[in-house]
Amino acid sequence: MNEATNEMVTDIELQEPNELQEIEIKLLLEGLYQMYGYDFRSYVRGSIGRRILNRMKAERLPTITALLEKVFHEPGVLERLLNDFSIRMTEMYRDPSFFAAFRNEVVPLLRELPEIRIWHAGCATGEEVYSMAILLQEEGLMERAKIYATDMNEKALKAAKKGAFPLKKMQQYTKNYLKAGGKKAFSEYYNTDHQFAYFSPSLNEKLTFAQHNLVSDSSFNEFHVILCRNVMIYFDNALQQQVHSLFYDSLADGGFIGLGSKESMLGLPKGMKYAEFNPSEKIYRKK
Amino acid sequence: MKGLHFNIHTKIIAGYLFILICLVVSLLIVMNRMSALQEEVDFISQHDIEVHNLANQIQKNVIDMETGMRGYVITGNEEYLEPYHIASRNWLDNYSKLHSLLADKGTQQRNLEEIKPLIMNYITSSAEYAVNQKKIGNQTVLDDFFKNNKGKKRTDELRAHFVSFLQHQTNLTNQRVEQLSQNNNNLKMTLYAIILVVTLITIATAVYLSNSIVKTIKQVIWTIKGITDSKESGVDLATRIEVNTHDETRELAEAMNELLSNLEKQNWIQKNMAEISTMYQGMTDLTELTHAFITKLAPMFEAVYGVVYLRRNQGSEVRYVKEAGYAIAGEESAGASFRLGEGLIGQAALDKRIFLIDQLPEEHFKVTSGLGDSSPRNLLIAPILVDGRVEAVVEFAAFQPFMAQHLTLLDLLQDKFGSAITNVAGRMEVERLLGESQVLTEELQAQSEELQAQSEELQMQQEQLRITNEYLEEQRQFAEQRAFELKKAKDELEDYSRKLQMSSQYKTDFLANMSHELRTPLNSILILSQMLMENDGEMDESEVKESSRVVYTAGSDLLRLIDDILDLSKIEAGKIEILTDDMNVTEIPQMMKSMFEPIAAKKNLTFEVLTASNVPNVITTDGQRLQQIWKNLLSNAFKFTEQGSVTVRIELAKPEKVQELLPGLDEEEMVLEISVTDTGIGIAQEKQQIIFDAFQQVDGTTNRQYGGTGLGLSICREFTRLLGGAITVESEPDKGSTFTLYVPGRQEAAEYHLLEQLALNEAAVSISTEEQESAIEETEIEVVEAEASDNQLFRGKKVLLVEDDRRNVFALVTALEKKGVKVQVAENGRRAIEFLQEQADFDLVFMDIMMPVMGGYEAMKAIRHDLKMDRLPIIALTAKAMKGERDKCMEAGASDYIMKPLNINQLFSLMRVWLTEQVNED
Repeated sequence: MNEATNEMVTDIELQEPNELQEIEIKLLLEGLYQMYGYDFRSYVRGSIGRRILNRMKAERLPTITALLEKVFHEPGVLERLLNDFSIRMTEMYRDPSFFAAFRNEVVPLLRELPEIRIWHAGCATGEEVYSMAILLQEEGLMERAKIYATDMNEKALKAAKKGAFPLKKMQQYTKNYLKAGGKKAFSEYYNTDHQFAYFSPSLNEKLTFAQHNLVSDSSFNEFHVILCRNVMIYFDNALQQQVHSLFYDSLADGGFIGLGSKESMLGLPKGMKYAEFNPSEKIYRKK
Repeated sequence: MKGLHFNIHTKIIAGYLFILICLVVSLLIVMNRMSALQEEVDFISQHDIEVHNLANQIQKNVIDMETGMRGYVITGNEEYLEPYHIASRNWLDNYSKLHSLLADKGTQQRNLEEIKPLIMNYITSSAEYAVNQKKIGNQTVLDDFFKNNKGKKRTDELRAHFVSFLQHQTNLTNQRVEQLSQNNNNLKMTLYAIILVVTLITIATAVYLSNSIVKTIKQVIWTIKGITDSKESGVDLATRIEVNTHDETRELAEAMNELLSNLEKQNWIQKNMAEISTMYQGMTDLTELTHAFITKLAPMFEAVYGVVYLRRNQGSEVRYVKEAGYAIAGEESAGASFRLGEGLIGQAALDKRIFLIDQLPEEHFKVTSGLGDSSPRNLLIAPILVDGRVEAVVEFAAFQPFMAQHLTLLDLLQDKFGSAITNVAGRMEVERLLGESQVLTEELQAQSEELQAQSEELQMQQEQLRITNEYLEEQRQFAEQRAFELKKAKDELEDYSRKLQMSSQYKTDFLANMSHELRTPLNSILILSQMLMENDGEMDESEVKESSRVVYTAGSDLLRLIDDILDLSKIEAGKIEILTDDMNVTEIPQMMKSMFEPIAAKKNLTFEVLTASNVPNVITTDGQRLQQIWKNLLSNAFKFTEQGSVTVRIELAKPEKVQELLPGLDEEEMVLEISVTDTGIGIAQEKQQIIFDAFQQVDGTTNRQYGGTGLGLSICREFTRLLGGAITVESEPDKGSTFTLYVPGRQEAAEYHLLEQLALNEAAVSISTEEQESAIEETEIEVVEAEASDNQLFRGKKVLLVEDDRRNVFALVTALEKKGVKVQVAENGRRAIEFLQEQADFDLVFMDIMMPVMGGYEAMKAIRHDLKMDRLPIIALTAKAMKGERDKCMEAGASDYIMKPLNINQLFSLMRVWLTEQVNED
């Protein structure tokens, strides 16, 4: 049992840090970077601040400085804090209409490629990766496809590799799958025990999970599709631009990039040309 | 040039005048000539006639003198002297006159002069002489004189002179007339020449005039045509009409050129305007826009310097801030910003008017290039007005003066540029706001995700709390119940020990039986075989035969016993294979007869096999197993019957019986019923339930009397179950028993595979469980826990199965009940709805699609809409082949679907999903 979850959060709240805490947050982030090389300095302050405050409370600490001290000197705290930072809500077939659009509009174009390389940047626990794998399998493209799923959180990656998702969410996933135009019975893809649904190992064959930090790491291949959904919302504008450049450089001409439903190409650095392939689903195509 | 201005009017008049002058001149010449001619004619007519007259007068005078003299001489009459005197007075006059007339003619004068002395001589020597002589009267002299004829000689000579003179004069006149005639001809020629010349001059003038007029006009026309026909840019406005004349055509050409210049300017303005206007499109940035504007416009104005100032509101103050420049030397060279009214920029903005300044002082500012710098002398400052508000101010400087078209262009551009500025500014503002809203949206999304994460965490914690609470509650209850349970356990323990005793009794009995059954034949085999081995001829042949027969029989019994045990153990292990095939029912009586007729005869029992007429000839089942069953039943019947009869009835089972015994089957399903009735010892009521259990006989002692292992009926029941049938018993002690076997006539392999799979799965699970147990001590607990949780998940759950196919129902019910699920079967949609109306606590519904009365789609729609059961998971059972079925199911309200034929693992996986309570459910 994770120690972190033992402490009860009494209420859901999004408390904003005050001025002093802002400075402490800055110090903490700088400290993390200097000490461990984890660079969260370009994350949107509000979000990261709230997470730090939550962690501070969960550790029953009075100040962020105290948290910093613990992060430096007490084993385990750093891991918990990092885990907090990388919390990402994800679902299988999240925003089913996105996957439906991908299936109906992008897949026909991918069919023409001899090899399809897909990068899931910030895949978290891999729900969307398996979703994509199932989609490609149903479209008969899995033979030619290779999906690279990356995240900075090792723990999340470990979970993603397992392909085991809690039963508690599977009903929603089934609904999403069907809404996204799934062609078979969803139950054909998993086995269950009383806690988890285990996705067929055959899906796992073409998946490569690797640790990759969008903030500090560079591109590692040329891709035909990059999915980075609801990841950059945690980044500030400069970091968003930096990551956009990374994606642009990693994308083949005519390649696709899919963003989260609330994200946009507004902050795109100059010189990057994307066609609005399906703007309502946030699918863009490199010109 | 104006002095040399010859217009067409003048040209034409001059032409005509020129011709007129030519005519007049020629006329004058002709007239002159004609008057000369006339003079000559007059000269001839007067002079020559006068000459002739005078000559003749002189000649007459001479003659008069001659005549007078002669008359006088003859007559002496003085009267005759009268003419003589007149003539002698007159002739000299006449001579003088003639002489003067001939003054210009030397020869004739000389001729005349020659005549004069002759006359004088005649007068003096002849006439005067004669007269004088007469006067004196000297007749002789006179006679003499006349005799000599001297006078006559002189007059003849005179006459001859006169003749020659006149002849000469006539010649002269003729000469003159000839000359005149010649002159006349000359005049004619001259006239012709003049006519010719005048004609030529007229033609030349006409040609020159018309040419000089038409040529220029044509030139203008060509030029205009050239302008309009110019293909390249539609109209080539740069061309100008060139005219060398200085007439109206030139004026026309000049007017035309002026028009062209105007047009060119207009065109320049429009072209540049269009160019600049189109340039605005797609601009999203003010700096970019203003920069493009100034960069474009400055060269058009031939300006060497340009700046754009944009209106900025800084608080309440309006400032015009430098946004873009053209050829600005350095930042400091152009003012960064101006207030309203500050400097010319501010003034232009304030006054909303254009400032055009020339003759700038040299030190105003300098434009620098690599080679040096110089000062533009012309400055143009113009405000850009939009809806009466100055949005921007532009400033240009140039070496040349600014031209009207520049100002016009600027004026025309003002609107466009102004609206472009406001548009772009608006767009930038929208973009900025969009960006802000995007940031907010993302922040919101991040927050919502965090909230979701937190809520999930909270939910998880609550779950844990609940579990903990439950655990505590359980603990408490457990503690409370402990005493009770301890007591109960004690009771149970007693009960168990009793049961154990019983069961151990059974086991002991069984083992005793077994050992007895095994030992008895073995015993006889051993003994008899030993006897046969030690036989040294003391046994006769019949004894040997008898012993061998007993050994054989004992061996057969042993084999049968071992077979039974093996069969049963196989069934127990689920390793019996069912091989269905068509089986001929009509053969059964025959087989029974041939097998049991001898025993019946031996025991003196009546043996009858009765077949009902409606029994089908062929059924599909495992004939081998069926045979084993009835063989067992008949063996029992004969075994326990000492007298009376054994009767077999083969018929079709009654539907109500089938319904009762085999609820999974269809009513229409054909079921074969084979009953075996004996008149044997019978079975007591309380024993009837246990006789089918393994190792059980009516009591341990039964077989002492009748033999057998007590395994037969167990095997029968297991086989029957495998065949999808049932077996019942009716019996009364001492009266006999009836065992009735029900076998479905159509055996489906699939159900059995499913069942087998079930059995296999369970075996696999148990194996893996065992493996894990043996592998890691810790996981053992987990696995046990997992199994427990899994069972927890299924146990006691209520599932409504809506399906009309009895075989499927049977298979599913069997599978689900094994997991402890309570299954309610509804054979169609209507029944399902009725069930749901009666009891709303179903956890899950399996819904077939194709059903009589009410199909699956309709039923699902009714459940969702009419019963408002939105949360109830409905799993549609669809046929794999139907592609559109999936969508129809979803549309009708199915939560999920699974395809037939069902895979039992998949089914359970899916059930786990739909039976698990979900997080974050709306």
